[in-house]
Amino acid sequence: MAGDQIFVGLEIGTTKISVLVAEGRSDDQISILGVGETPSRGVRKGEIVDMETAAECVREAILDAEDKTNVEIGNVWVAISGGHLRSFNNRGTLLLPEERAIEQEDLDAVETKAKEVSLPTQNTFLHTILQAYHVDGNENVIDPLQSEGIQIDADFHIVHGIKTRIHNTMRCVESLKLGIEDVVLSSLASAQVVLNQDQKNYGALMIDIGGGTTDYLVYIDGAVRHSGVLAVGGDHITQDISVGLRLPIARAELLKIQHGSAADPGGVQGEIITLGNEAGFLGCDIERSALDTVIHLRVKEIFEIIRRDIEASGGGKLDLIRGVMITGGCARLRGIAAVAEEVFELPVELTRARNVSGATQIFEDPRFSTVIGLAKYARIITRNMRPESVMDRIAKRFGGILGRRGR
Amino acid sequence: MSVRKRILAGVGNAGVTLADLLAVSRPGERDLVAINNDGESLGASVAPASILLPSGDPGEALASVAGRFGETLEGASALFLFGALGGGTGSYFLPGLAEQAKSRGISVHCCVGIPFSFEGSERRQRSREALERLKPFCETLAVIEYDRLSGSGGAAAGVGEAFRIADDTMLSALRAMEGMEATSGPVRITKADLQAVLGPKSGKTHFGAGMASGENRLHEALEKALKSPLLAVSGKPGALKQAQRILLLLKGGKDLSFAEVQTAVAEIERNAAPGCQIKTGVDAAGTEGMPLEILLFAAAEEPVPAPSPEPVSRVTKVDSTAPKPEKVHTSAGKPLPRTTVKPAATKPTQGTLSLETNPRGRFDKSEPTIVEGEDLDVPTFLRKGVKLAAPHRK
Repeated sequence: MAGDQIFVGLEIGTTKISVLVAEGRSDDQISILGVGETPSRGVRKGEIVDMETAAECVREAILDAEDKTNVEIGNVWVAISGGHLRSFNNRGTLLLPEERAIEQEDLDAVETKAKEVSLPTQNTFLHTILQAYHVDGNENVIDPLQSEGIQIDADFHIVHGIKTRIHNTMRCVESLKLGIEDVVLSSLASAQVVLNQDQKNYGALMIDIGGGTTDYLVYIDGAVRHSGVLAVGGDHITQDISVGLRLPIARAELLKIQHGSAADPGGVQGEIITLGNEAGFLGCDIERSALDTVIHLRVKEIFEIIRRDIEASGGGKLDLIRGVMITGGCARLRGIAAVAEEVFELPVELTRARNVSGATQIFEDPRFSTVIGLAKYARIITRNMRPESVMDRIAKRFGGILGRRGR
Repeated sequence: MSVRKRILAGVGNAGVTLADLLAVSRPGERDLVAINNDGESLGASVAPASILLPSGDPGEALASVAGRFGETLEGASALFLFGALGGGTGSYFLPGLAEQAKSRGISVHCCVGIPFSFEGSERRQRSREALERLKPFCETLAVIEYDRLSGSGGAAAGVGEAFRIADDTMLSALRAMEGMEATSGPVRITKADLQAVLGPKSGKTHFGAGMASGENRLHEALEKALKSPLLAVSGKPGALKQAQRILLLLKGGKDLSFAEVQTAVAEIERNAAPGCQIKTGVDAAGTEGMPLEILLFAAAEEPVPAPSPEPVSRVTKVDSTAPKPEKVHTSAGKPLPRTTVKPAATKPTQGTLSLETNPRGRFDKSEPTIVEGEDLDVPTFLRKGVKLAAPHRK
């Protein structure tokens, strides 16, 4: 029964590892049962750099989630991020031998055609996300199945990344005897709960600023038009504070959370923040303007890079975006919305997962947008699909690495 | 197919050191010769061939080795000469040997070092004069100013380390010239391209090199190349922005991909000024899995120096009793606006000992995030040169 389906999302982040257990409801929504969490180690900029340590952290987070939800976790949906991920849009075209009713095999063939592009040898496809079908010049056909036609065109947003790095994440999960339902681009997962259908239709840019990466995704006309990962996140802000104000990393992190603001200090000086003595740290006075300048410059740079990347992707997408939604741990940084408004010249909203039910304190926290989004994505994908076909799809995509299933 | 023979010749102490390093890195290299007037240095050299310059009058010494040097060059179409200018041997014999080779119809390519400031002004002056004598005989010429390498090893780097860095850079530049002169393909650099950037009249030449292997080799190699100290202008990366012509060579194995070449060229284009001519060579003749090497030379026309003001004495005695100079008046009777010529040498300022911090900090060991040619792991405020109020310690 659909209502009994349990979905487990796993995000191996740079700052934390989160495991979310949710129940799929009969109304296609999800209800959060609980989340397991552990500080992350062995992960840098969203990618695993120390397999053994990272696997140990994942194990702790899984156990935490099992304890909190009383669910034995066997299979997980895994989020993928990292600066190696790239995307582009491509069109596949299929000419049928004669005019006839279009079948599923034809649509599969169009997708295959769209993927006939030259990727760097070390890369593999992560997603081929449908944007629109066109049949015999009739644009934006929602469901071409059984329609009569001779030429099928289909536009796809294609995401690819370095095979070994994607496999590293999968190996880490599999080393714990967990089965992988699918691997999902982090921003695609987050967008499922951060953006509503209207925003996807009218045009929205979602930016998820985490500890190690900033993941972003553009929806226009209800389809993904652009996505990107910048391997810069909250850790960089902390690092900048540490270097600029000559503070230990831990103290810089605390200062960022307690006093930091991304707003432009605009030359206002004089306000002093006093840091008290602590074990191993001799206190000091710092100028608030210095702290805010460091943060402002970094945050503004992140947004400017995203803006230029979207502009460079072509199609005048920026003109079609109606608003910017910011989520992720750094969405809690004071003044961040104003910086985004200045850079994108669009309305900006700080947001978190919506249209989910269950433990309120979890979905109200923007740090969990991706892992909640994974469960929602799982709900959408499996709605009309037999479990075996999910496995078939991922096995086809990533080959033999998925030899085992569940525990 | 005949193989074009080229000879590598290191001249003087620095040249012999480089020849030894080359011999060690290329076992079996036969066309390498060490030339010096120091018998002890040649005796210890591991270069496969050597020529001892006799002591005494340098002109006679040069003439006496002409026969032997000519034998060495037999059958060669190109000579790569290298060494440091400024010393007695390199300054005299590098131009002399280049002239002999050119007179035999051999293409001469030179890679020379200009001494560190701390080696003395006389040495630097001698190196500049030698460089002018060398230019007419060179088809291409790469000049490595050792001073511009200072800081590569950190402020606390020892003198020995500074020379080691200078040697490494010379070797890279030499290998780059060699690689560009005879690119195996599939994309070759033509002689005209080479001369446009490295010709003796092509202006100031900047050099960058980076080598890396592994999954992220392209970005690592690019980062190293773009951050090469010889691509810096006034201590900041910027030589590419001022360059009119750039030569880029990618060397790698058979697995060097089209995408890597495309990305590298795009990245160099982003870092160069609009309209800059970029010539790219690709040498994928190596074995699969070998490190990817990115080598680039950038030529910028040197600005014509503005006429320097008359030297002004730093200490001027003011005689209060002396008559004041009369004001110069215009025809309208109004005094001309006063112009002040400041002395070229400003008052001495106290040097600041920089704090030895690593700006990449916790990201030092991780894969760099390079976007639009900038290393985003380095704090934004540092890259933008924003000064911050220092914290007040209690």
